[in-house]
Amino acid sequence: MTRKGLLLTAALGLALGMPALADTAEKKIALSNNYAGNSWRQAMLESWARVTEKAVADGVVASADAFTTAENQATEQAAQIQNMILQGYDAIVLNAASPTALNGAVKEACDAGITVVSFDGIVTEPCAWRVKVDFVKMGRDEVEYLATRLPEGGNLLEIRGLAGVSVDDEIHQGIEEGVKAHPNFKIVGSVNGDWAQDVAQKAVAGILPSLPEIAGVVTQGGDGYGAAQAFAAAGRPTPVIIMGNRQDELKWWAEQRDANGYETVSTSIAPGVSTLAFWVAQQILDGQEVPKDLTVPFLSVTQETLDQALKDTPEGGVTNVDYSQDDAKKVIAESK
Amino acid sequence: MRIHRAPWFWAWVAAFAAFLATWSISAGGGGGAALAVAALTFASFSVLTGLGQMLVITMGPGNVDLSIPATMTLAGTLSLKLMGEMTGPVWAIMLAGLVSALAVGACAGVVNFALIRLLRIPPIIATLSASFLYQSLAIWSNRGLRIKPPAALAEFATGRAILGIPNLALVALVISIGFWVALNRSGFGRRLSAIGQNPRAARLAGVPVARIMGTTYVTCAKMAALTGFLLACFSGGAALNMGAEFLLMSIAVTVIGGSSIAGGDSNVPGIWAGALFMYLIVSMLNSYGLGAGVRLLSTGVIIIAIVAVASGRKAQA
Repeated sequence: MTRKGLLLTAALGLALGMPALADTAEKKIALSNNYAGNSWRQAMLESWARVTEKAVADGVVASADAFTTAENQATEQAAQIQNMILQGYDAIVLNAASPTALNGAVKEACDAGITVVSFDGIVTEPCAWRVKVDFVKMGRDEVEYLATRLPEGGNLLEIRGLAGVSVDDEIHQGIEEGVKAHPNFKIVGSVNGDWAQDVAQKAVAGILPSLPEIAGVVTQGGDGYGAAQAFAAAGRPTPVIIMGNRQDELKWWAEQRDANGYETVSTSIAPGVSTLAFWVAQQILDGQEVPKDLTVPFLSVTQETLDQALKDTPEGGVTNVDYSQDDAKKVIAESK
Repeated sequence: MRIHRAPWFWAWVAAFAAFLATWSISAGGGGGAALAVAALTFASFSVLTGLGQMLVITMGPGNVDLSIPATMTLAGTLSLKLMGEMTGPVWAIMLAGLVSALAVGACAGVVNFALIRLLRIPPIIATLSASFLYQSLAIWSNRGLRIKPPAALAEFATGRAILGIPNLALVALVISIGFWVALNRSGFGRRLSAIGQNPRAARLAGVPVARIMGTTYVTCAKMAALTGFLLACFSGGAALNMGAEFLLMSIAVTVIGGSSIAGGDSNVPGIWAGALFMYLIVSMLNSYGLGAGVRLLSTGVIIIAIVAVASGRKAQA
């Protein structure tokens, strides 16, 4: 039955999918991006370029241009969206500087008949689609993992992201929920690492002298290697540090594993989520029924997949995956 | 000279107070040395950028270098890329890295000053717009990929060769002494102060204003480049956002240290006090378990308090 069901779905997908090529061939999609100043965002833009170039060459869409604002300001991005409306794009894929401050511009775009798909940095305006990440679950999963590794519990150090950003609050909330569910863990210290190795290292080095023995470090990605360096510099035993898919984190993890059997887990969002949002926009333009809220799967690296992930991740980059049209259809189907 | 009248006095008091407050709750009492090492290490970066910014600010109202973060990123990125591609003896690779970083800094300084002098753009606008250029170059040159520094350099940057003092702190100390001599014992320092106190009077008195200003902007950019190089070696590679916090930091350590924001009056010991304080205050508030909001608020209030106390002293004097 299940197999039959799958086949049916596939056939349905094909039947619906084939005319899609014709329907969106004239459509123009724009990427409105608020920030490009770190390796994650660079990988995100590269994924976009790689996937959309092929999509344009294959005649799926007419064009898919990427625009990035210089200053990571909501006002600047609102102006950029207004320009896109005037330029006559059919869809805008949006990584927003603010969840609320762009709502006015987004509404204008919707009123002009433009499909707006926000991802990563999502907007709350109801007319837009949201390809979002369950960051609360990400935080909860970190503690769940530590609970399997350290059944007797222990002290945790939490490295948070950039203060005032919603992602930071959501991951933090998940971690707190996790600690509530596993009361043998206790968060004894919390610092802001701003998702950057050097900032995290600096902050951890400053708080370590005042902390008792640490069993685990819960992180938000981009800060694990810096934390490891700070523990090493202070001459303290290395706790279980949750990693965030950066190449230097994975490399350090592999080195530790080879030296002393170190075990941990690494989770983050693939920068290629921009391409998932692209395909979602394409599906909407194609006339498919797409729910307004879609959830992106995490990209996790485990002890078993570490070597492969390390091989696939560019030196100094982030573990990435480019999504395909089928991935988008699957995510859409799961959200219905 | 009565020491409590020195412009840097209150900043040092605050830094020591923050140190003791953090130390007092450290586990087992052994945390003092670790905290001091961490503070010296990370303060070194703030000191190096702060020294350059201090020179620029000394030239008087309107003079500030906002391109420090971008210059750091560009110098760190390019020099590490160069070292990553080079083969040959380690000392040659390290030297090439250092020289290329300083050359990037020198170029950035020349561009900054050319915009200010030739195109008559105010320094704030000139350095800000130039920083977009540098940041874009850094992005374009390496797409944000982190290249590891040579092992010997990474060891140096994270090492503690003499008496357990971080190597970086020693580097910063030697450079600080150089800055102190240049400011207090050389013609350059006196001319710089003269420009800061009254640029028109300085020009009429025969001070080569353009040359001094040019030298200052280039020096500041070179310091930013050196910091970027060292920070990249320290943290295992250059990142595109590595300089972000040093824009406000370099200005903050200058002001907290007792240098006049109106120009014409600067001091080197205050830079160290400001840098150590800025690190220790965050460590202290983190150690007491305060959230980010309270932390930012208290940091702001404490900085205002120090500056107010220090300027109250100046008004009486």
